[in-house]
Amino acid sequence: MDLIYDILREAIAPTTAAFALAAIGLNFHFGLTGLLNMGQAGFMLLGMYGYAITVREGGPIWLGVIVAIACAAVFGLILGWPTLKLRGDYLAIVTIAAAEMIRYLGRSQNLNDLTGASTGIRGNDFKGSFEMLSPFPDSQVTFLVWTFHGTRSTSWWLLVVGWTLVALMLLMYWRLSKSPWGRVLKGIREDEDAVRSLGKNVYSYKMQALVIGGVIGALAGIIWALGASVQPDSMGRPTTFWIWTLLLLGGAATIFGPVLGSILFWGSLVAVKGLASLLIPETLLNTQELEPFSLTLVGITLMCLVIFRPQGILGDKKELAFND
Amino acid sequence: MTDDVFASVPQEPGAPKPDPIVVADNVHRHFGGLTAVDVKHFEVQRGAITALIGPNGAGKSTFFNLLTGFDKPQTGDWLFNGHSLKGVSPAKVARAGKVRTFQLTKALSRMTVLENMRLGASDQSGENFFVAFAKPLWKDREEEITAKAHVLLKRFKLYEKKDDYAGTLSGGQRKLLEMARALMSDPEMVMLDEPMAGVNPALTESLLDHIVQLKQEGVTVLFVEHDMHMVRRISDWVVVMAEGRIIAEGPPHTVMQNTEVQEAYLGAHMDTDLSEEGS
Amino acid sequence: MTKRIDRRAIVRALIVFVVAALAVFAVSTIGSTAMADTPDAATAVAQTSAIHADAETTEAEVTVDDTAADAPGTNRIAQNVFNGLVFGLLLALASVGLSLIYGTTGLSNFAHGEQVSLGAMLAYFFATQQPVSLPLLPWEFVIGWPLWLAAIAAIVVAGGTGWLQDRFLWSKLRKRGVKMVQQMIVSIGLSLALLNLLQWWIGPDRLRVSIAIEERRQVGPIQLGDTTAVSIAISIAVLLAVAYFLLRTRLGRATRAVSDNPALAAASGIKVDAIIRLVWIMAASLAALGGILMALYDSGTKFDVGAKLLLLMFAAVTLGGLGQPFGALVGSLVIGVVVETSTLWLGPDLKYATALAILILVLLVRPQGILGRAERVG
Repeated sequence: MDLIYDILREAIAPTTAAFALAAIGLNFHFGLTGLLNMGQAGFMLLGMYGYAITVREGGPIWLGVIVAIACAAVFGLILGWPTLKLRGDYLAIVTIAAAEMIRYLGRSQNLNDLTGASTGIRGNDFKGSFEMLSPFPDSQVTFLVWTFHGTRSTSWWLLVVGWTLVALMLLMYWRLSKSPWGRVLKGIREDEDAVRSLGKNVYSYKMQALVIGGVIGALAGIIWALGASVQPDSMGRPTTFWIWTLLLLGGAATIFGPVLGSILFWGSLVAVKGLASLLIPETLLNTQELEPFSLTLVGITLMCLVIFRPQGILGDKKELAFND
Repeated sequence: MTDDVFASVPQEPGAPKPDPIVVADNVHRHFGGLTAVDVKHFEVQRGAITALIGPNGAGKSTFFNLLTGFDKPQTGDWLFNGHSLKGVSPAKVARAGKVRTFQLTKALSRMTVLENMRLGASDQSGENFFVAFAKPLWKDREEEITAKAHVLLKRFKLYEKKDDYAGTLSGGQRKLLEMARALMSDPEMVMLDEPMAGVNPALTESLLDHIVQLKQEGVTVLFVEHDMHMVRRISDWVVVMAEGRIIAEGPPHTVMQNTEVQEAYLGAHMDTDLSEEGS
Repeated sequence: MTKRIDRRAIVRALIVFVVAALAVFAVSTIGSTAMADTPDAATAVAQTSAIHADAETTEAEVTVDDTAADAPGTNRIAQNVFNGLVFGLLLALASVGLSLIYGTTGLSNFAHGEQVSLGAMLAYFFATQQPVSLPLLPWEFVIGWPLWLAAIAAIVVAGGTGWLQDRFLWSKLRKRGVKMVQQMIVSIGLSLALLNLLQWWIGPDRLRVSIAIEERRQVGPIQLGDTTAVSIAISIAVLLAVAYFLLRTRLGRATRAVSDNPALAAASGIKVDAIIRLVWIMAASLAALGGILMALYDSGTKFDVGAKLLLLMFAAVTLGGLGQPFGALVGSLVIGVVVETSTLWLGPDLKYATALAILILVLLVRPQGILGRAERVG
């Protein structure tokens, strides 16, 4: 019973919303445009730093959000400038390298005053002004089966904001992917030379997609940071790979794929850990080993998904017929 | 089928045309030490069907890529409607009214046939990121181009397939779709890279008819082709390339008699059936 | 053919090296003025070194640097360049395999870092005097083989994983015609799975494969320990053997033929699949050897050691020209030297960032060089 409660709790947690957001961003990159961005965690980390540092230094929330968005947009522009003309797998290597650079810089002692180096920025340093705005009571609140604190950290307030943001971004994805703009991006995903021959500036469209997806990633970073803290090492390569896994799980290029994927991913991670600790005796798999055990399964899931069901749960089976 | 306009044109490489739409000068492209294209002078007559032929490795496709901005030459300049297209990106070349197709068809597989067609249309304000949010701003244009796409799809006998993914089409249908898509932007000139490659014989006739119909609508056509039947059937003027250079020009029925042309073919490509009776 | 390309790779590497050095110099100038402005610079520095001691990327180097600074007659720059060359040699063992795989199959294998870790973990598993166990099995046992035997066993087992992977995964995907991009994501999944499997199996702690403490001797302006000397000897010998294999043996020439043009190679009677299988085995074994020597050189290792090296390997391979095994060697040496010498100016916690900056720089400076032959349109 506890396990089911844990799963339900995880299914709506701010982390889940943050990953759904990051995956929506990645959906703009990969699902719509076919860009292999392997550095989504870098965009998230920039968003976190941008918001947390601005607010810590006394800036208002709106300024923090703008700084976060601006950081991600500039990062996207710098990253896209040399790489969007290169073949897909080079973009993958450059984005992953750039994201790691952001992390190394963030945890560098040289920037200790700004980023707090490898310890990061404590939640109390930047969460205050956001939590002040909470319309919920400053205590535990139970709604249906869920109990969360009203305002602090993993709170109802953050849940409402996070999922509202998810809904808004879904709406945006839906509107844009069904527009002529989205049509050009899909064309690029299929064959950029064809789109070029039809008179569209492919480079500019790829850049737009990279920046939009990255900015959504930065928003995801803010939601994550407000639920936890800013910690550079939590935004390493594995985080990007998880986002990829959950996007492919839900279904790339579908509207609800990222959200479904995120809920399933985090829900089943809790489920696997819970079931494993129930069913496998402590002597075989102690609590310390649960985490790597379940993440091993994540890796295997990613492999199986790509091999056997690349269109994910919500994807169109027909699209598989021509994998050329 | 030769028009009168070509009567006064000398049958020699780089011959000047009465009303050229494309003029190229000293276009030179080499890969490492290998010269792929070395064209001194080249003109394409407006409103005519010009064929570009030559043995394998003659540099036809490379020349095509250079003219459409998909590749950049080491030297040279070329004009389209009097404007230089040197160093101009492929997208701008297309927007200037010169649209190309590819030897290996580039149908956009995971998009429907109709979406493929819509993508071909120009002047879509909805392709701007900010405008895309407000459907009322681009709804009218979308309806316009959809209507136009329907007309073209009917003409190319693809209307029944309009809601299918382009990836489900046969090779010949993809060629048709690519040609129809190129027409969505009302180009002044279309450049077809081996339009018959991989098309089954049943569809060849209708493809030929479509190309002739383009000419009747005033569109200039330049195409690369291996199939001599087709070249003889529809082209007004033939340009022969070998080893990167233009070695001969002339009307389709006489150009193949040129000894230099025959040597080039025999030297590079023994199995091409050239002396064919000419039907 | 090979000679010409290799010379180009070297020239390319040198250009980038000079540019990178200038960039590092520029950054350091900015960094040092910033330092001077801070009133508590001294405490910051003290803090820095304290944190370095447990910073994940730097453990071994800090000890080296300290002794280097203490011992008279040791030139820090020479020492760093030397360390860089050693590091580059060890890195080359791993990146040559990555490059071979890319050359013959076109796959950017993101799981190659885990192959390096696997080598180190297996060597620890066979050599340690501590009780070890296998995942999901309740028994603990001590193997405790001598180091040389453990290393050989580790390399053999790792080579076996290369065979297994190609036999049951990659060859199947190739046969099904799965796109390269998809295969690359599969390798990312594999990397994620292997990384966590290793953590689950061996645990998250830093481990020592050999408990012997290395004695350092003064050789000219640098300090050199016995283990390091042996590591250098082994890696040079192995790299020479790989070069000999590729240049002088039938099988090696076939491998290069597959690298150049698989279709043509197949048409001329080369068994492409068998060659690729061999490449996987070689790549996995070389990576394992690299991991073991790295563990000895750093006097310690961890389950994620290879994951940290992966991007350096990519940098090295890209620098030398993708798919060029000799380019990968040169690229590795350059990366090694840059990474180590950058610690003279930047903090050691930024040394990997320097390598990544180079990677991005290479793609900026010579994208067409890295792309190799221009792809034909249409």
